[in-house]
Amino acid sequence: MISRSHKRQSKSLSGKGQLSGEDERLLIQRVKAGDQKAFEAIFNHYVSRVYRQAFKFVGNEADAEDVVQEVFLLVYRKANSFLGKSEFSTWLYRLTANAALTKLRQRKKEKEVSLDEYMPKFRKDGHHLVRPVVDWTQDIYKHVAMKEFHQIIQQAMDQLSPMDKAVVVMSDMEEMSNPEISNNLGITVQAVKARLHRARLFLRGRLTNHLGYSPT
Amino acid sequence: MAKKAQVGRVNSKKVDTCKQATSLILDHLTGELDSKTARLFEEHLMICPDCVAFLNSYKETIKFTRSLSYEDIPSEMKKRIRRFLRDNIG
Ligand SMILES: [Zn+2]
Repeated sequence: MISRSHKRQSKSLSGKGQLSGEDERLLIQRVKAGDQKAFEAIFNHYVSRVYRQAFKFVGNEADAEDVVQEVFLLVYRKANSFLGKSEFSTWLYRLTANAALTKLRQRKKEKEVSLDEYMPKFRKDGHHLVRPVVDWTQDIYKHVAMKEFHQIIQQAMDQLSPMDKAVVVMSDMEEMSNPEISNNLGITVQAVKARLHRARLFLRGRLTNHLGYSPT
Repeated sequence: MAKKAQVGRVNSKKVDTCKQATSLILDHLTGELDSKTARLFEEHLMICPDCVAFLNSYKETIKFTRSLSYEDIPSEMKKRIRRFLRDNIG
């Protein structure tokens, strides 16, 4: 796991080989005309980014590789359907997210995890069911290694439905706004919010439970 | 001049209970609560340490998710994919 180096990586990429919007448009035009050199330039420029984006959805190298292959095949075959109304990187991200979602949906369902078990629960009068609610953020770092939290979050992410996972990846990892996510996934902003909130509550519940406290 | 309502902005809501407060966390974090609801939300937090604790752990969870990160693409894989594409296009 490297948290900082991939930022450095993208900076150095932009330092030596950033494509301007104009370069990009020209390259796409050439890809549309079947120019393999232009396609290779697009591949070289975007492959690392697409891989990282794919990995966030699928969580392992082998599946991420399949997604990257699929995405670049589509770039070549469907270049004509890129009309230039959005940024190329946005179009590419949608291809990636779609391919990754398809991959996730093909997975054999593991034992269903009940999200409800990790949701907050309330008394009839609307107060938290188990009180006091423990604020584990205060001394969390003293007892548990960051790596352990990351493992719990990763496991919990893998238990979300593909769509819920996609919403969390886009919001909390890619830092996209709710309207952007809504556009990428073709669901309403309200649906994005509902899924995002529930998924975050689930992740929070799993962490809280792992620390030995009630999720409520 | 009347401002166009922002996408996703929620209408004024009551914040009498922890259950109501919890349901507003997402809009609170993106600053989408209307000013009255935002004030009621803050007031609830002032009298409810349970909701403060809950909100803190919700925010911390987002921070953990945000800090998950991954290796760059292995160079062998990049070569494999390049070969695959050469064989499958054109
Ligand atoms: Zn409360």
